[in-house]
Amino acid sequence: MEKEELLQKILHCVENGKVNNAAPYPPNMKGKDGADEWTKKALEEGIGPDEILSEALIKAMDVVGKKFSEKKIFVPQMLISAKAMNAAMEHLKPYFQSGAVKKKGLFIIGTVAGDLHDIGKNLVGMIVEGAGWEVLDLGVDVNSRKFLDAIGSHKDAVVGLSALLTTTMANMKTIAQDIKQQYPEVPLIIGGAPVNENFKTEIGADGYAPDPQGAVSYLNSLIA
Amino acid sequence: MKPLQQLTTEAYRQKRRLVSPLMGFPGLSLTHSTIKLAQQNVDEHFKVLKALAERFHPDLIFPLMDLSVEANALGRYTVFPCRESATVPKDDFNIEDLELLRNINIAFDTRLRGVVETVRLMSKKLPADIMKGAYVTGPYSLAALIMGAEDAAMAAVMDTDKLNKLCNFAKEKIQQYIRLLVDAGAEAVCLLEPTAVMLSPEDFEQYSAAFIREICNEYKNSDIAIIYHTCGNTMHLVEKMAGSGVDAVSLDSPEAGVDLPGVADIISSDVVIIGNINPTGTILSGTSDMVREEVSSLLRSMDSYPNFVLSTGCDLPEDVPLENIAAFMQTGREYRIS
Ligand code: B12
Repeated sequence: MEKEELLQKILHCVENGKVNNAAPYPPNMKGKDGADEWTKKALEEGIGPDEILSEALIKAMDVVGKKFSEKKIFVPQMLISAKAMNAAMEHLKPYFQSGAVKKKGLFIIGTVAGDLHDIGKNLVGMIVEGAGWEVLDLGVDVNSRKFLDAIGSHKDAVVGLSALLTTTMANMKTIAQDIKQQYPEVPLIIGGAPVNENFKTEIGADGYAPDPQGAVSYLNSLIA
Repeated sequence: MKPLQQLTTEAYRQKRRLVSPLMGFPGLSLTHSTIKLAQQNVDEHFKVLKALAERFHPDLIFPLMDLSVEANALGRYTVFPCRESATVPKDDFNIEDLELLRNINIAFDTRLRGVVETVRLMSKKLPADIMKGAYVTGPYSLAALIMGAEDAAMAAVMDTDKLNKLCNFAKEKIQQYIRLLVDAGAEAVCLLEPTAVMLSPEDFEQYSAAFIREICNEYKNSDIAIIYHTCGNTMHLVEKMAGSGVDAVSLDSPEAGVDLPGVADIISSDVVIIGNINPTGTILSGTSDMVREEVSSLLRSMDSYPNFVLSTGCDLPEDVPLENIAAFMQTGREYRIS
């Protein structure tokens, strides 16, 4: 099979959320190979992992993020696409770890202390990963200490904070200030339903985005 | 016509509006109580509602919102922070466990009974001209509490049979709960379906609206009003909500993305629209004058629609100042449709 065609297959599977052959979704692709099988095949055919990442995965997740912003697809569909991307990523991981392929940078993300909401944060993490970044997910209910420790071991990282409760927005402010005090040069982006551009300015963060697509634009602007 | 629609229409004829903010938690300061105490103790709970009724005299009143009651009654792990509503964190769940859950009779659960008894007290002791409401977790949101919200979203496309089974199970338990509430005197039942906002219109229909329709059928020929509440931006879902046979839809704020006059233009005028002042905006952190301004402007924008009840987009947080609720009530009471 032609290289273009293989990359197209992977892109199509990720965009439509076809994880692997056994996956029942989407119904019109039942019994067909998914992102898992096609990525394996592409690597066997000698296609470079960096090319699979940039020409198939990043492009697919870009489309997915846009469709989500435009309300053409919804949370479940986006989660499935991210899952398909992860299936492909599994095959690429060894190359990233060996240093054969470079990521754009490291993104540390977590939901702030007192807050257990993680679906939005997970989606942002997955789409950012799909955009070619390495992601370190600190989970939920993350306090300043944990963020500072993580930044301490990765000083060139970008940090993302998520909050879904008006009550935990106060904790977001504390964490942002703690981070900025110790690491003023670390870029900090915030998100979550109740936060906005004004709040970003108020707490001294550097970026705000309403959705994963916006997070990717912000991150990419840092390395442009 | 059911009393809710009748009263709404009657008020409109008199150029007035019914006024009912979704308030509960701010009332705790009136009785010097805490969320935890009130959510676990019938007398404490009722005292808060009585104080709110006396202070504000809304047209429709609800107990404190508590989305953990049904899941907790079904034995799911629940945490009780002192100053926040009880919550059901994610826990492992296998669909095989459903058979075990089936055997649980929720009517024997102390906290669930507590809500039922609170509604009974409301019905007996609050003024007759205040309609008594009750909250119930919707089928999809209850399924999401049982299996985890992210897994439920994923199951909506990957594991449709399993999710259907769980939502149907949730519906059956909800029906039992509603019967208890109605028996205790609830005149309006508000189904809370916050988690379903994540779904596509088709999935929303399949996992939420279809089950709500079955619940509505049971009360078609009664005086009990069924209200459908989903928070967040529901503009892509309102037609499904309104088409499910409910008597009213309760919608979130403009800040969340909901355009109330726009909704009124597309749904049937037989369905009452309840909303939609932002519960965490001006009313939480602005002045009373700002609240008056915001409420007047919402009322004005709805002037040409008879099927409207002034309310908040969602439950008010505990820290909302009482004088701002008073400003909300007063503006709503004094407003005249032009
Ligand atoms: C699911 C849910 C839960 C689940 C969480 C499950 C989980 N694993 O996340 C459970 C049941 C545990 C829960 C608990 C509670 N919840 Co809750 N929950 C929700 C619900 C229904 C959906 C949230 C969600 O996942 N949305 C979908 C995702 C995709 O959207 P999102 O999170 O906004 O993320 C997007 C953007 O904001 C952005 N984004 C998010 N993070 C970041 C980060 C960065 C860096 C960037 C750039 C972007 C970004 O990208 C995402 C994709 O577009 C909302 C109501 C609603 N309809 O929105 C309430 C809601 C958030 N919860 C609420 C409340 C009050 C609670 C509880 C206190 C009690 C309760 N009512 O149950 C507890 C608190 C627990 C705690 N300490 O955190 C309120 C918050 C009110 C407020 N403004 O303060 C809401 C709004 C419902 C309501 N009106 O009552 N909840």
